[in-house]
Amino acid sequence: MNQRLITVLLRRLLSSFVVLFLLISFVFVLIRLAPGDPAQKFISPELSKELAENVRASFGIDSPIHIQYIKFIGNIITGDLGVSYNYRSTVLSIIFDHLPFTMIFASLSFIIQILIGFWLAVSTYKKKNSFYDKSINKLSLIGYSTPAYVLGVILIYFFSLQLKIFPSSDLQSFDFDELSTFAKLLDYAKHLALPLATLSLAGIVIFYKYLRDNLDSIENKMFVTNLRAMGVNEKTILYRHIIPNAIGPMISVAGIELGVLFSGALITEVIFGLPGMGRLTVNAIMLRDYPLVVGCSFVSGVLVIITNFTADVIKVIIDKRLIKGMLN
Amino acid sequence: MKSKGLISIILPLILVLLFGCSQEKSKLQDKVILGIASDVTNFNPLYAFNGTEVNVSEIIFPGLLGHNWDDTKGEITSFPLLAEDWEWSKDSSSITFNLRQDVYWSDSVQFTADDVVYSFDLYSDVVVNSRFYASFDNYYLNSDLSIDLDKSFEIISSHKVKFNFRPGSVPSLFDTDMPILPKHVFENIAREDIATSEVNFKPVGSGPYQLADWNKNQSIVLRLNHDSFLAKENSIEELIFKIIPDYNSRLVQLKNQEIDFMEEVRPEDLNDLKDVDYLSYTLRKGREYEYVGWNNLDPVEFAEEGKLVPHKLFGDSNERKALTHAINRQMILDEFLSGYGQISTGPVAPIFDRAINKNVKPRGYNPTLAKEILKNAGWTDTDSDGILDKDGKDFSFDLSIPGGNPLRVSVATVIQNNLKAIGINVNIVTLEPSVLIDQMFGKKLDAWISGWAVPIPILLKPFWHSDLESNIPNVASYRNKEIDSILDKLETCKSVDLQKDLFKRFQEIIQNDEPVTFLFWMDNIVVYNSKIENMDINPLGSIHYCWNWTLKE
Repeated sequence: MNQRLITVLLRRLLSSFVVLFLLISFVFVLIRLAPGDPAQKFISPELSKELAENVRASFGIDSPIHIQYIKFIGNIITGDLGVSYNYRSTVLSIIFDHLPFTMIFASLSFIIQILIGFWLAVSTYKKKNSFYDKSINKLSLIGYSTPAYVLGVILIYFFSLQLKIFPSSDLQSFDFDELSTFAKLLDYAKHLALPLATLSLAGIVIFYKYLRDNLDSIENKMFVTNLRAMGVNEKTILYRHIIPNAIGPMISVAGIELGVLFSGALITEVIFGLPGMGRLTVNAIMLRDYPLVVGCSFVSGVLVIITNFTADVIKVIIDKRLIKGMLN
Repeated sequence: MKSKGLISIILPLILVLLFGCSQEKSKLQDKVILGIASDVTNFNPLYAFNGTEVNVSEIIFPGLLGHNWDDTKGEITSFPLLAEDWEWSKDSSSITFNLRQDVYWSDSVQFTADDVVYSFDLYSDVVVNSRFYASFDNYYLNSDLSIDLDKSFEIISSHKVKFNFRPGSVPSLFDTDMPILPKHVFENIAREDIATSEVNFKPVGSGPYQLADWNKNQSIVLRLNHDSFLAKENSIEELIFKIIPDYNSRLVQLKNQEIDFMEEVRPEDLNDLKDVDYLSYTLRKGREYEYVGWNNLDPVEFAEEGKLVPHKLFGDSNERKALTHAINRQMILDEFLSGYGQISTGPVAPIFDRAINKNVKPRGYNPTLAKEILKNAGWTDTDSDGILDKDGKDFSFDLSIPGGNPLRVSVATVIQNNLKAIGINVNIVTLEPSVLIDQMFGKKLDAWISGWAVPIPILLKPFWHSDLESNIPNVASYRNKEIDSILDKLETCKSVDLQKDLFKRFQEIIQNDEPVTFLFWMDNIVVYNSKIENMDINPLGSIHYCWNWTLKE
């Protein structure tokens, strides 16, 4: 059994490497085939044309694409993702400047989404068909269909401009260094309140809907009827039997959602001026900063694979029967 | 019971969050917060390629001299910064600078003439690839276009340096105007490593402000260098550049006093801001114009064969003139710029009082005349489909615009309707900005809407000279021999009066040829907190001499 488990893990690891390799290879080729010139900002009436030519040569983009690719693969094997054309620093150092914020921001949003989504699903399930249940059901549709760029602006208008409770951008105040530890935490909380609300709303609704639907479908299973017939109390049925059976698909969604969150939240980052991976990636694409685009894709790919794998492991821990499916 | 317990924990937390901390305000003592759209990538003037990078790096690294804008004369005046004074030789072939002796780098090393020469050495070095590379035509040059230092500079003493220019060149003070870099910092770095060196992010400057903190994609904090010769007793202690990519977020923060300064405010938002009692505004007369580009050459023939074949629709000036007559520029100006601008007659901005030809008047909106011109050129609707045609070809084309620019979307729609009224079909194509620029420089587009900023001092050759290979910004592929001759003469002409005549003739020919349809000059609307005093907002910029700013008591 253990040996087979190790085989599965190794197979999974190998397939992850293949996926990553294909991902960065596609991105490498596609970004170069897309129209646009990485040396564009070096072409201007006030700059000499020789400068653009020199820069293009220094980027190595004047050589054929297959030569660039071979060199790129050689570098990446040694862990070198190259130097950003725009930032003039190594791609890894730029990504590591932006990744910690994204990881923390995404994790906070993820926790909020899971907790509130779970709480809403269970509380509405308990009061099935009540006014509360129906209201949440209807409101969830509004929440899901409100785009982040609309929600963000509405939140800024009410909570920042009208009520003046929360700042409308940034991570911290400019007098942050002068604050006490507690005040610093409050300062972060104050700055992150609106961005987290903007980023989390749609996710909350997704988790709520998934879990709520699953709770309903599990309730109709024979084993639940059987438990009731045996006189097991409703609380035990819900928390010991229905929820553990209903939570599996939610964990799969959670794995995907967390991976997406780790890749950055472009709209929220732009509206609230936050320094995350979303803005970094899109700026890199707009500026045709080839090494940085590939680097961001690579890191996002790694995070998506890790979160999906973690989700699978959690599912197995909760429901050990799933291991058989994986082994097969 | 459990839920009550939860509420008793969460409620106080929310209350503390709501009322325990007051909202951030830019009225923090002795700080000014400037809202900007994008971050810098470095603080090294060698690699300052966008506007913010130039502004910030030149505050940290001043040059030998500074410039002011003289509104009455419509020209630039210069004043000394790192230089004490200067003197031209009688034949203007050299200039000698006496340097200030009270200037120190932020690491306390004294500034000397060595720094000046070393800076020009770096700027012109082919290995360094600075933004000024290959733009030192007036100096003695080596074969790789770097400056021949021995011939071009003489260090007379530690604080006196002479610049010698190439015989036959027409040098000006602008040739000596580069941010000066510290030799003792840069000489320790291999030239090929400068582009990726840490020095790009940890500047050692001689300016009134030095970098105190940089939170990438969030803020840049410049702190007053009290030891700087430019720092004044009442200069503002900290300038904070806050990066807010979204225009509407910047606007909200300006109203909310979270930022104190914002440029390029849209005209439609100004009326709202005018009512805010703590905000002031200034209209910076523009040197940025919007235009509709008509490709004078057939893009397919040019791209595939390199042939210079006139464009089938826009190759003749008659068609281009008709198109201009058909576009209601005044309506665009009134409706979409609320009048904050001026109809353009050519690429010389009205602010350049000495160069502008006031006899060149805008081509008026006259669809009847446009139809007449087109009819005379052979364009009629022979198949009664509502579209003009000639030799079996409809007058129909793609008008490319960049995505994310609401003004250009509106202008394109007006143009589409205006031209439809005279029987021309326009398909608006929205392209990603970098794709549009790439195709524009590649001369692959038929028609597009874009804009240029006229450099100071006026630079026209790259935009309008027939040598398309050397002058990539001539994206319309406009060619006129007399214009070439004028542009060449302007490069070598020493007489101010002759320059004036050449500029005026240039504008006459451009208007007659109508290479593109010049739309309008745009005012840059700058809105700032009324607490800031002594701001000098002029065509050169808004923040370049921020050490003169003070705060109201």
